Amino acid sequence: MRKSMIVVSVLVVFAMLLSACAQTAATTAPAATEAAAAATTAAPAAAATTAVPAATEVPTETPLPTFAPAKAGVTVLNVWSFTNEIKTMAVAFEKVHPDVQVNYTMIPMTNGEYQTKLMATLGTGNEPDVVALEASFVKSYVESDFLADLKDLAPDAAADKTYQEVIDVGTYKGVTKAYSYQSTPGALFYRRSLAKSYFGTDDPTKIQALLSDMDKFTAAAKVVHDKSSGKTFMVASSGDFMNLYYANRAQPWVVANTLTIDPMVEKMVQTAKTFRDNGFEAQATQWGEGWFAGMNDSLKDASGTKEQVFCYLLPTWGLPYTLSPNATTADKSSTTVGDWAMITGPLPYQWGGTWMGVMKATKQQKLAEEFVRFATLDQTNLTNWATGVYTNEYLKAIDPTVPDSQAQAGGDFVSSQVVVEKITKGFDKSTLSDFLGGENSYGAFAAAAPNVSAKLMQGSDDSIQRALNDPLNAYLAGTTTEDQMWSAFKDAVRTEYPDLTVK
Amino acid sequence: MFSKVKKNTYGYLFVAPFIIGFLLFGLYPVYNTIALSFTNTSMMKPNADFVGLLNFTRLFADHTFLTALKNTWSLWIMNFIPQIGIALLLAVWFTDTRLKIKGGGFFRMLFYLPNLMMPAAIAALFFSLFSYYGPVNQFLVREGIIPAAVNFIESAPTMRFLVVFIQWWMWFGQTTIVLMAAMTSISVSIYEAALADGANGWQMFRFITLPLIKPVMIYVLVTSLVGGMQMFDVPMLLTDGRGSPSNSILTNNILMYIKFRSSQGLIGSASAIGVVVFIMTSFVALLIFYALREKSNKNVVEES
Repeated sequence: MRKSMIVVSVLVVFAMLLSACAQTAATTAPAATEAAAAATTAAPAAAATTAVPAATEVPTETPLPTFAPAKAGVTVLNVWSFTNEIKTMAVAFEKVHPDVQVNYTMIPMTNGEYQTKLMATLGTGNEPDVVALEASFVKSYVESDFLADLKDLAPDAAADKTYQEVIDVGTYKGVTKAYSYQSTPGALFYRRSLAKSYFGTDDPTKIQALLSDMDKFTAAAKVVHDKSSGKTFMVASSGDFMNLYYANRAQPWVVANTLTIDPMVEKMVQTAKTFRDNGFEAQATQWGEGWFAGMNDSLKDASGTKEQVFCYLLPTWGLPYTLSPNATTADKSSTTVGDWAMITGPLPYQWGGTWMGVMKATKQQKLAEEFVRFATLDQTNLTNWATGVYTNEYLKAIDPTVPDSQAQAGGDFVSSQVVVEKITKGFDKSTLSDFLGGENSYGAFAAAAPNVSAKLMQGSDDSIQRALNDPLNAYLAGTTTEDQMWSAFKDAVRTEYPDLTVK
Repeated sequence: MFSKVKKNTYGYLFVAPFIIGFLLFGLYPVYNTIALSFTNTSMMKPNADFVGLLNFTRLFADHTFLTALKNTWSLWIMNFIPQIGIALLLAVWFTDTRLKIKGGGFFRMLFYLPNLMMPAAIAALFFSLFSYYGPVNQFLVREGIIPAAVNFIESAPTMRFLVVFIQWWMWFGQTTIVLMAAMTSISVSIYEAALADGANGWQMFRFITLPLIKPVMIYVLVTSLVGGMQMFDVPMLLTDGRGSPSNSILTNNILMYIKFRSSQGLIGSASAIGVVVFIMTSFVALLIFYALREKSNKNVVEES
């Protein structure tokens, strides 16, 4: 008996240990190692001398550094991001500031790893100096107390005519804490050949007139559906037009600590249901195989019949990073290059974007601020960034260890109206204008950018909108009623925001 | 008594690494989790307050948590019963001295293989297979089994079945190996005696094999329970990471993770889920030990 009791107690302890381990794994995020690796050997004196603003005239070539390193030994600046993009700017920054070494840490955000690790450093003293913040979570940081006030950069932003939408996202209660090098207004990209066969024209002005609001958009979807006997879909997924509705709400999600469902959201649900029930959408999953197949005209239904997608609603980055790389199939058998045209679409909206902020806990506030200024507000850097100056040769001349894929191709839409106006003409003839049958996408985005508003954006937006996805899908699939959808949505919001009033 | 302790000092030395490791990485986190569960700690706020049982009262008032609890149990039970059933069957076949199945080692490896793959890869694989434009739909439609493509990813029964299937598929090999080890340790002479007495296969299984592998069965049951109550990776990665469709594969740990990684980083209320799962698992594990204790010892207990 005694023996079996010992066995039992050992097993119990073992079981407890096992269950304890899993809980620990989830509650204490694995941040310690990263933070230790990024430990800084800062010399604050050197930081002060490097904070001299770089020249802000706009020749395409960056002027050579005008000052020699002040001290022997380099100052280390820790920058965290979720893509390799900003590393290009970090290398360019080292050219202007040879006495600074940027320690660049990239943590992907595919499944929220970046957000988790960054959150876990808060208040531990291991925070990075500069952080990149994606549109889905930038606002929760801006609303928090962890980012430094960037009021010293306001004059630069004014000189740049940084788009108001970019500043609004980075501002909370009048204090601006984050800036972005991009502005991400959205547009609508449609297939010229399909427009010709269903609407008799592929002229962007005429198609824009046909799709100038969401009711017309739905009516056009019916035309596309009927004339193609259901084989061409207006959009690949109803998720494609959700941003348009979210961006044009009259009130934010949270008003006086209460969940508020704007009429625009209700309209969105109705439109999505119309699209599903009438077969106006291809039922693809955004970022899924079918969604991309529609871009290069290789979409086939389960029985092998060809299906086509009339348009995609994508923002600035969507053109160079999503649509154009996927417009040709991997085996080159089907391509839609040159068959696309771009219009502003039914409603102005913005989607995504990367902001940058300085952590309050940094020991080198000035240098970190200078990095954010260089990356997001320096006209020379923005020009170089957008016009493809940062080639591999350029970057390798500064830091030979830069990987081959680091080059930044031109075409990203930058946040400064001044820069945009200067460089737009240069895109009249480019690979992207060839892709769009001769249209200058840069010019079209420049026309759309001032109309975008991000005033309603709140830190909780992303979680709340995510919480709606699953109930909405169930409603679209017809497994739940609309009332059940709203109550499932409210339950999901309650789970993530226990302090919020949800009626 | 004391002299005995002194003799065994080496023993203490040898268990010291485990004890230290357990206190540091086992007990302290448990203590810390329990402490956190009574606060409103969130990662986006520097300060936290003691809130008493608020996290727990909210949790039990929350439909979502009750759904998660129900899902975790049903997903575990639905995968455990076929898992132990198939594993027992295979273990009996492969250890049977009369059947003498060839290539036992090969099959054992084959059964265990799925366990070596990353759950993330398996979940991604099944997601692509069953997506609307995926190969399963193509096959079913082209073979004329269904008239048009079905959105499996949005169908709760399909996704639940997939989670159960993947869990079963990944773990039945492990269970088979453990049970085979237990069965091979049973002396052949017992079976020979039973045969001589005219017992049939089922009787030998029921009255010899099952009672003698009971300690191992308890081990399998408890480890599977502990694992099942923490089911996370497969349901998390199979759909949107939030238990979609309609919370049908939302488990305790996914809910805990949702709270933890919400834009506020709600560690306080995430810990409350951890504590509930911990108490529930420990209680049920003890219940299993009590229910499956060795009955022959009953008299001994009463006598002592």
